[in-house]
Amino acid sequence: MTTGATQPQISKDEIARQAAEWVVQLSADCEEERSAARAGFEAWKREDAQHAQAAQHIEGFISRVCAVRDSADGNARAVRAVLNATGPHPKPHRAKAAVRTLALALMLGLPSWLVLQSHSPSHLMADLRTPTGRWASSTLQDGTRLTLNSASAVNLRFSESRRTIELVKGEVLVDVAHDPDRPLWVETPHGGVRALGTRFVVRREDGATVLTMIESKALAKAALRSSDAPGTDAMGTVVGAGQRARITADGVELLANIDPASVQDAWKQRQLVANDRPLAEVLDELNRHRPGTIRYNRAQLEGIHVFAVLPLDDTDRALQLLLTSLPALRVRTLTDYVVVVDAPALR
Amino acid sequence: MQAAVSIQSNMQVLYTDHHGWLCSWLRRKLGCAHTAADVAQDTFLRIIASRDALLGVREPRAYLTTTAKRLLVDRARRQLIERAYLAELALGIESAAGFPSPQDILEALQALEQISDALQGLSNKPHRAFLLHYLDGLTHAEVATQLEVSTRMVQKYLVQALAQVHRVVQD
Repeated sequence: MTTGATQPQISKDEIARQAAEWVVQLSADCEEERSAARAGFEAWKREDAQHAQAAQHIEGFISRVCAVRDSADGNARAVRAVLNATGPHPKPHRAKAAVRTLALALMLGLPSWLVLQSHSPSHLMADLRTPTGRWASSTLQDGTRLTLNSASAVNLRFSESRRTIELVKGEVLVDVAHDPDRPLWVETPHGGVRALGTRFVVRREDGATVLTMIESKALAKAALRSSDAPGTDAMGTVVGAGQRARITADGVELLANIDPASVQDAWKQRQLVANDRPLAEVLDELNRHRPGTIRYNRAQLEGIHVFAVLPLDDTDRALQLLLTSLPALRVRTLTDYVVVVDAPALR
Repeated sequence: MQAAVSIQSNMQVLYTDHHGWLCSWLRRKLGCAHTAADVAQDTFLRIIASRDALLGVREPRAYLTTTAKRLLVDRARRQLIERAYLAELALGIESAAGFPSPQDILEALQALEQISDALQGLSNKPHRAFLLHYLDGLTHAEVATQLEVSTRMVQKYLVQALAQVHRVVQD
């Protein structure tokens, strides 16, 4: 860095940095800054062929990223999820060993991954995840127990003052080890749940995160997007045992109460306890546990409610049980991976 | 002509002398004879593809294992990305948009590898800032809220990410 010989390299990096600064200003939040940047950037590019080239490299890359973003809907979503999941792992401190232990436990629990993971670069193992149809439990170094539901993923960030579990996808049962000096947070983009020593379930849905308290209480807090949440309780909402809360970026809303014991049993026995739940929701849940997919028309099934206890580790049997309790239903198996559920009699 | 012949014979020597050894080295590492044979094959293919490197290899075994190790890392990354991507697609299959075509999938996988390559080596926050802004379309201020840093810091992260992208892309 200090010798004359590396001078050309430094100036090249410096050009790249300047180009990067211009490009960042191009997408600034304020229109005035953006238009000033556009003009300035053009002038800067004209100054030197190397400038233009650096700009082209960076802009070309960004346009590739945008092309992915704007491609077919399911595609873009999947690309996003993979990139988010394969990014670098935030540096944990005390939890480093715990993370490793958990990673190891998950790996051992999931033999199909073993070959893959045994020689993959560590940063690609940023999150801990379960594939569809599999569950995994583990105890962290602080004694907290995590149970990942099917198709779920979490990142762990533990520091001296705070234990953070980022729920990337799916659902997790957290049995928090008591530590008054280090609150535990479960975070999603919608908000967070803060606990000292409790047991609860957090689940990510589209646009919201649902907290189900099994024992004791926790604090649910919305992410509170900028200023547009007037009157929302910035201190959070206390959710007690047997209560459920829906957390969105704008606020926390309490839902109908549940029976904590049955939630706990359902997790233990991998059952879905549907007590007057809309059929579409129940099918959503079965989908989460099925390697293939169950297709249905949400609008057509509206108004059908389910009272049943369904096995989540055998979704074929669960569908059979649904059929027995709801004779109006029709279940057609197209292939092992595609099952269509509808209610022709109701149309 | 002369060079081509010498490369060929060099290659032959390398192959006959060390192929068996490389296979058993890989087998010990991977614990699977089948994958070991595959990777050994790919290692020689990669060496053939970079012909000039072959002339004057002093330590053939070290050279072979280095190439093989690099290959394993690449393979693992590609597999991991591909698996994660296909799993994500399977998860979203019931959504109205439907399943992307094989062409779409292939293109997405290529884009994924490129993007993931370019962003490799970034630390966590610049990496997240980049994805939140350019992939998720969040404004600088929104990214700042998510990362619990200032807008100014977000811009610093983005500059850092783009400078890194430039370094990788230009190679």
